[in-house]
Amino acid sequence: MNSIADNSVESFERNLEEFLTSTSLTRQDKASRLLSQIDQLLQNIEGFHYLYEKTPLLIQNGIFDNTPWAEADKLVPHLVKGTLRAGHPSSSYEVISELRLLAIAENHLTDSTLDAESAAEFLEEVVVHNLEFAFKELTEVSRETMSEKEVKKAHLLIGYLMKRIPLQNVKNKLIEEVELSCAQRPVLTKKTRELIGFLHNKFDVPDQLFSDDPISLYVNAVYHPSTGSVAHTAIDDYSKFLETADESALKKEAEEMGYHMLKTGLVSHHHALLLVKLVRDHPDLVHLCLALGETGIAEWNTYRKLISDIILENVTVENFQCIYGFHRMLERSLFSRRPIRIGIENLRKIQINPQVEKRILKIQGNKISNTTALQYLIGGVVKILGQPLGVRQGNNPTCQSARGISIWSQHAPTKLIDIVIRVATRNNLVVRFENTEINSNLLKKGLMDKLDYNLDVVSVVLVPHLDKIYNEMMLKSMGRGEDPHKWVNPAMYGQWIRVGFKSAYDYLTNSINNFGLFTRTFYAAFHPHYNGNRRMIYPNPVGIIITNSKAEMVGFHAVSLLRIKEDASGTVRAYFMNPNNEGRQNWGQGIRPTVSKNGERPGESSLPVDQFASRLYAFHYNPQEIPDYLQNVEEENIKQIIQLARQSWGKSYNWI
Amino acid sequence: MANCFALMGWSLPVIESMQKTGRPFVVVSFPDFENYAKEHGIPFLPYQLNEWSDTSNSLDLAEKLKPFNVDVAVPLFEETVEWAGALNSIYRNDPRVLNRAFLFRNKAMMKRRALIGGLRVGLFEEVHNKEGVKAFMKRLNEANLQLDGEEDSWVHIKPFAAAGTVGHRLLKSMDDIDEKCEDGDFPCLAESHLSGHEFSCEAFIHKGKIRFLNITEYVHLGYSNFIPEGHHLASKRQLIHDHVQKMVDIFGIEYGMVHPEWFLTEKDELNFGETACRIPGGHILELCSKSYEFDALAAFVICHDPNATEEELNEIFPPADFKPKYYHGNVMIYPQKKEFSKLVIPEQLNNEPYFENHNLVPPLTTQKLSGDRAGFGNHFGTINFRGEDPDKMRDLLLEYEKVDFYI
Repeated sequence: MNSIADNSVESFERNLEEFLTSTSLTRQDKASRLLSQIDQLLQNIEGFHYLYEKTPLLIQNGIFDNTPWAEADKLVPHLVKGTLRAGHPSSSYEVISELRLLAIAENHLTDSTLDAESAAEFLEEVVVHNLEFAFKELTEVSRETMSEKEVKKAHLLIGYLMKRIPLQNVKNKLIEEVELSCAQRPVLTKKTRELIGFLHNKFDVPDQLFSDDPISLYVNAVYHPSTGSVAHTAIDDYSKFLETADESALKKEAEEMGYHMLKTGLVSHHHALLLVKLVRDHPDLVHLCLALGETGIAEWNTYRKLISDIILENVTVENFQCIYGFHRMLERSLFSRRPIRIGIENLRKIQINPQVEKRILKIQGNKISNTTALQYLIGGVVKILGQPLGVRQGNNPTCQSARGISIWSQHAPTKLIDIVIRVATRNNLVVRFENTEINSNLLKKGLMDKLDYNLDVVSVVLVPHLDKIYNEMMLKSMGRGEDPHKWVNPAMYGQWIRVGFKSAYDYLTNSINNFGLFTRTFYAAFHPHYNGNRRMIYPNPVGIIITNSKAEMVGFHAVSLLRIKEDASGTVRAYFMNPNNEGRQNWGQGIRPTVSKNGERPGESSLPVDQFASRLYAFHYNPQEIPDYLQNVEEENIKQIIQLARQSWGKSYNWI
Repeated sequence: MANCFALMGWSLPVIESMQKTGRPFVVVSFPDFENYAKEHGIPFLPYQLNEWSDTSNSLDLAEKLKPFNVDVAVPLFEETVEWAGALNSIYRNDPRVLNRAFLFRNKAMMKRRALIGGLRVGLFEEVHNKEGVKAFMKRLNEANLQLDGEEDSWVHIKPFAAAGTVGHRLLKSMDDIDEKCEDGDFPCLAESHLSGHEFSCEAFIHKGKIRFLNITEYVHLGYSNFIPEGHHLASKRQLIHDHVQKMVDIFGIEYGMVHPEWFLTEKDELNFGETACRIPGGHILELCSKSYEFDALAAFVICHDPNATEEELNEIFPPADFKPKYYHGNVMIYPQKKEFSKLVIPEQLNNEPYFENHNLVPPLTTQKLSGDRAGFGNHFGTINFRGEDPDKMRDLLLEYEKVDFYI
């Protein structure tokens, strides 16, 4: 009972007593009051233990009477997420219901309608459907609808269940989760690592470097991606091993580690020791250690001195994941660009502002560390430059900022480095907007109340400023009778964003106005079948409407449309960067963005273009390019899209 | 001990308390409640309490209650006070009992009676239209020696017979009278503004004497209160006790509970506001039960019984020297926005050691509030606190009144 305050247990007990001694006349009111204490206890794991013990008493005294949870055998696993999202009191009832099923599964409680095995199966399904809570990597719908407190409750529930129930049957589902997560090559690998760690602890994973078990690739990548590290897992042992290893052993280490990194996008801390050793003593093996292809090797050979210096100065056993960033950066030939080399050299010399330093160290968990904030920052910049599509917004309502970082990394990397230097040194950012200067430190508030630190280093430095600036630009552009994004996007992201802008929403009539023409214009501008087969050069910051699995409107969201292209099967697909934590979502009407196997690059999401168009409400384009192509677009096509839109989010609007 | 209590109106907590005491009772209420009563085994007599006619009157009702052997009637609603008074007049063979019930139901009559008896009351008058209110304000201004340019004296108007704050308007100027008063308000009582610290008492009376006196600290009228009273009021307990007893004597109240509201001035004078004799709002008796560790609802019913024995009363009430250990307070929560779709319990409540429980209900999907509400309207639930320091309790109640639980 350590971390539940005594008074909350006492208070719970008093409420329990009132509940137990009430008659049917006031029992419902007493249950609702008792539940308000349960809501408090569900904020830490000791509370879960405590309530688990109380569950039989609660059930036997009719806590679920006259509620949808009354009959255990009538419950449906996939409805659990909805009630968790609905907040107290539903979510509190839901958790107690799961604790009841756990008690049944563990033969702590008997239920005439449900046996232990069925209860366990039910809970396994609950876990599978709710993995987003286990790792606090929320989908847009959950982030929009749940308070922090409710997220915590759901997180604790799923974690509690995962510890207590046998998960043999969900193992494959979890492995798929790891595979798909890695396929997106996220910059932030914490969630993936937690999941792999969980699988590692929970299941028997063969302790050998190459095995048939699909999970062993990932376990190896994280814990011991080479022969040497299997034999010398502890970091000190591995360090000693490297000192005595001969060249052929080192070569083998480099190849095996390179292999695992390339296959999974994950790096182990051993890799940092090996890379530093090779850069120092065996530079000819570095390309193996970084898993470089021809382009990368050429890059390494040309800028060997600079790259070596950066690696030796910055790569540590704590920020080792940036090694994958180096791999990708070299493959992108970024060092061949002079402004980038200069930018990075300047970055190496900066003095970080103490406030910024605090933020950077906070995401490392404030642990005692030999790695400096600057080392973390440079490692972070390398990751972002290497993996522009791997940037995510965390649990922050800052999709625009994440999208900006991604777009700059792709198309204006020097601008990104420059912004990082400015913010990191001054904890302030000044930008121009329509002949005025916006100074982030003079602004009070952006879209977010409190930064969620589930972010990469570059984001944690920039987002607090970008968010405020973006918000200020929006405020300055309000009241012009049109969507403010029309002016804000080009100013925020860069001048290559087309100034032509089309929105399905009409500000003056507060309605959806001529959605047919809107879609027709979109296709005439970007659909390769109708636009003269022209391809997109720059990402397009578009606005979409997020819908839930019932196709009901949830809210607005910012993504980057990257390209529209036929996939291998001949379906024309829209490929886009969704800054939300999870690219795979369910938007209802069978619309489910995918992240792999449909021609996606790592980090991209995709949808058949018609489905994408049915959720689109704003995009930028060049009006001069359109007139010749507008008539090409088939009416039938447009009709289908309108129907999808009207029958989903369109129900929330008037259409004219 | 009474043969059988007739509980006039509807209150599940009271019914539950009576079940627990094991005393015989019958609930008299609208036919709408009959099914529920049947399902839950509650003795019940359906009656059209909002009708007075040849077939719906106290003599008829007394006849219908004979099979239950009723000898004491207890009003649960403001609107059943006359019914209970009429029945008790019959049971006690004393016509004045009914007259006293009327006293509670006409605020002008009530004030006049208080004035005659020597309680401090404000200036008051029955008014029939806006002009009447203006004339009243004008005379009040004169009496207060108003100079040119000074503000008008404040005037309150309230319906003669309505619970608590229903229909109550505060008028601060002549313009206010035009803007805030509606034709439907009249006739009503107009009275001068009483200054001072407002609070209420719940005095349980038996044989004309205060058997138990509770003082309720109003933190914000209509929103929050706590029990027992804070340090300042507690230091005036004897003064308050004496005034309540005086009021009971003046009104000639013998049995039941009175719920008067008072204003304590800086000079330690008590101004009488008004009184009721039914169960007070704001879950006051619930708080009272918790702090004084007795069943105030059952006590409310039992002290209506002229035949209740000394032992019976000793058993139900806390000992005379009982000192509550904990303060219990509550704040009623009203949505602050006109339109909202979600109940959000703030995290700060978790770390609040005084937090006891709440029964807030989530809104229907996107709920809109209509502009008009009677009294303080319907609240969406109550948050209860419990703790040892009345000053902290007051701060907490004020703090949570401002938290928006509905977004």
